[in-house]
Amino acid sequence: MLRIVQIAAIALVTFATGAATMTVMNTDIPDLAVPDGDWVAGGALDGRAFDILGTDLASGAVLEDEIIFRDGSFLSVDCQSYCDFGWSAYRTKTVDGVIHFTARTICPDAPHTVVWYGTVRGGAVTVDATWTTRRWYWTNQIAIRAEGASVPSFTGGTTG
Amino acid sequence: MTRTGPGVGAVLVRLAILVGVLVLATWGAHVIRDALDLRVRPDNEQQVHRAIMLGAMAYVGLLALPFVPGAEIGIAMLAAFGPAIAPLIYAATLAAMTLAYTVGRYLPIGALERLLWRMRMRRAAALVARAAPLAPEDRLAMLLDRQPKRGLSRCLRYRYVALALAINTPGNALIGGGGGIMMLAGLSGIFAPLPTFLAVALAVSPIPLAVMFFGLRL
Repeated sequence: MLRIVQIAAIALVTFATGAATMTVMNTDIPDLAVPDGDWVAGGALDGRAFDILGTDLASGAVLEDEIIFRDGSFLSVDCQSYCDFGWSAYRTKTVDGVIHFTARTICPDAPHTVVWYGTVRGGAVTVDATWTTRRWYWTNQIAIRAEGASVPSFTGGTTG
Repeated sequence: MTRTGPGVGAVLVRLAILVGVLVLATWGAHVIRDALDLRVRPDNEQQVHRAIMLGAMAYVGLLALPFVPGAEIGIAMLAAFGPAIAPLIYAATLAAMTLAYTVGRYLPIGALERLLWRMRMRRAAALVARAAPLAPEDRLAMLLDRQPKRGLSRCLRYRYVALALAINTPGNALIGGGGGIMMLAGLSGIFAPLPTFLAVALAVSPIPLAVMFFGLRL
């Protein structure tokens, strides 16, 4: 009996030390910082869609995507193919005729959070985004910068 | 007749060879990492996560076994994923060392020997068989292979320091590697669990901590 208690105690101490190591040494990476302002619930971009071409700033990998705004919600078609993020609420503010938007999308099946911030000038869009994955053993972030142009309004269902 | 040590020239040549091997190994690690293109992307993150979990489990299991090279998995993961993976490697190394010690300390020595034979780990089984009939101090002497008598008594007194040094000694694979050393430490019965745990926690920390805090890329 004493032997089992000792083994359990060793296992517990090992687990606790591992957990403490992860807590102390695993540094978080903050999501994309979205500028302050008079953000209001989405609507200003409803019915619009944009094809965007972006770059993973660390690796240089090229990312193609389509972002869609509808009924106060936002969806990235490319993200949808990796995880069922679904439609997420977006917010906007207008400064000097430029529409700024932001959205935070969360994957329900894996610890991914994507924060979007972009500006729309007429038919052109520029986007900054961070895809942050917070696993119990590390935090990984992919920073993306993209730009694109308006495409005909999206009317069908979502892909993925 | 007294034996003289190697001359200064020979030492310098050996040092140069060692540095050369390290440089080549570092270069090789970079080449392999670039070839594998292990960057985490949205489309491969799940696969990378699964690979890391499998690698960590294999690392713990293999590192805890005597004479089985497991450290290479940890070094490969550090080389592939850099400082971000260092905390996991540290925790996994600690778990492997503790597992080996626990098996050595609490599993009956006959059962352990039979288990290793069944796993076809003949060298590990032979190591346990050699340790079985020995007194605890003599089992420690096995850990500290080739130590002179005087050095041995000092090691016995400072056995936790000796254990930490043995784990970190290059070439310790000859006496069983980290897993074998910890299993023998458990078998010896002269290493109390808590001080052993603390000694190991310190002993396995240098490389992950260096990678973590100094951003060393292997």
